[in-house]
Amino acid sequence: MVSKEEIEHVSKLMKIEIDDPIEYVEKVQKMIDFFDVLDSAGVESEEISMPEIEIEALRKDEHLPFSDKLIEKLNHYKGTYVRAPKMSS
Amino acid sequence: MNLKISALQFVEDVKTGNISVEDFIGKTMEHIDKVEPKLHAFLEINRNSLDDARTIDKKIKSGEKVGSCFGMPISIKDNICIKNSKTTCASKMLENFVAPYDATVIKKLKEQDAIFVGKVNLDEFAMGLSTEFSAYGPSKNPWNTEHVPGGSSGGSAVSVSAFECIASLGSDTGGSVRNPASFCSVVGYKPTYGLISRYGLISYANSIEQIGPLTRTVKDTAFLLNIISGIDSNDNTTIDNKNEDYLSQIDEGIEGKKIGIIKEMMGEGIDKSVLSATNEAISKLESLGAKCEEVSLDMVKYSVAAYYTITATEAGSNLARYDNLRYGYEFPVEGFEFNSYITKSRKNLGPEVTRRMIIGGFVPSAGHAGKYFLKALKVKSKLTKQINDAFTKFDLLMSPTVPILPFKLGEKINDPVALFLVDVNTVTANLTGKPAISIPFSISNGLPIGIQLMANSMQDKALLQAAHALESTVKLPEVQI
Repeated sequence: MVSKEEIEHVSKLMKIEIDDPIEYVEKVQKMIDFFDVLDSAGVESEEISMPEIEIEALRKDEHLPFSDKLIEKLNHYKGTYVRAPKMSS
Repeated sequence: MNLKISALQFVEDVKTGNISVEDFIGKTMEHIDKVEPKLHAFLEINRNSLDDARTIDKKIKSGEKVGSCFGMPISIKDNICIKNSKTTCASKMLENFVAPYDATVIKKLKEQDAIFVGKVNLDEFAMGLSTEFSAYGPSKNPWNTEHVPGGSSGGSAVSVSAFECIASLGSDTGGSVRNPASFCSVVGYKPTYGLISRYGLISYANSIEQIGPLTRTVKDTAFLLNIISGIDSNDNTTIDNKNEDYLSQIDEGIEGKKIGIIKEMMGEGIDKSVLSATNEAISKLESLGAKCEEVSLDMVKYSVAAYYTITATEAGSNLARYDNLRYGYEFPVEGFEFNSYITKSRKNLGPEVTRRMIIGGFVPSAGHAGKYFLKALKVKSKLTKQINDAFTKFDLLMSPTVPILPFKLGEKINDPVALFLVDVNTVTANLTGKPAISIPFSISNGLPIGIQLMANSMQDKALLQAAHALESTVKLPEVQI
């Protein structure tokens, strides 16, 4: 069962503020219940296959300069600084 | 001026001087302004389109080389970046985000002189299948404006269906191109994974999603695929398709082809009219010389659960980049601690995105990963094996694109699990990387039904040939707007 504490914990991990964890408990529980069908798929012994790319197939590790000054498009860009909130209160 | 022409017809008419690009674009813009209050396909209309049209007309007149699109009006889903234009993903989180570069597909279309008439609506960050989760309000189905147009590329499908453009690009993570194509009676294509570069597509679940065209005809899809497909150094998952020409031999037909009808996609919950349309499609395919036979892929039963588990996990990771510090909406940093700023700014994400991020944090977390995320990956592997096995016996697989008719706006919005089930026939192609297409096939009580064909990886050309063959057996009424 999904608990209120679990929802609060996950939302903190995901850096999401939710007003009413109880509202999410019910909805998330419903979705998770639906995912329980995976238990009857009988795939325990199945291997997980992942796509592989040969290193040679990757693009060259070289610096490609961007044509525009991206830094000027940033939010909170002031002079030569980017403003960010302070790291601790 | 007839706006209801195919892409190939448009190119022909411009080439022969039958129509000027300026006239066509001018009439298109007038039409957009007329129908938009009713349909809301667009999030932003490109008011420079007419200037672009005049430039192309000039090039044609002066005998300069003109790209193969000849000024064709195309709409672009608002999760694909066009340089110096807003790309919002239908989210308040990105309401002022101006893309600093062109997506590869945009670059390729620009090189071929396409005209982008505007950015079109979607469910926020492409999470949904009705456009009802757009932060800017839903689009309406032109066939019946009380019904959803499907999604998440709903704006794309509406704009093509309602003649607001000739073609559109959408993205398909679990059916997001094919579902709205089916609901709006247009062609929608999800290519083999890697056939089209995702560079410049805002990521949602990158291991399975693809950009795909929505068009009026299968030939138009082949035409666009010729332009936008191919290897791209900016996307390591792209495949070298050796500049395949998808349009040549499209009339090949399907005589002698073996088609598997997927049993699990015709079962419980299917609408009667969708079932009878599918049976009719089977007889049409047989009359074209194909052999149809039922095939069972039992992993399909678990595909939707696997799909949502995997996509939520990837979304949780992909959306972590939205901290509003580098780009996003106006929200001053003063007076906030670092983490609380990020958390507060993310309140601009809508309810469905928030829900999926929570699920995305939950299913791969310690204590739950083995039960959900890893199991979902195992289902994905086994489903891929099953479908590869099916393709040793069959050339194509077939099903209805969506088991139900377009539903009413608001009908399912509060029931995520009811919405999940709408995806049951489309997610398999994404989880397995196979190409799939939705072909308009029937109209029931004024609402469209699409048929889905699927082929093995890199068999996109054969798939389009089969789709073209099926398409040529139907003559559908025109939408009344």
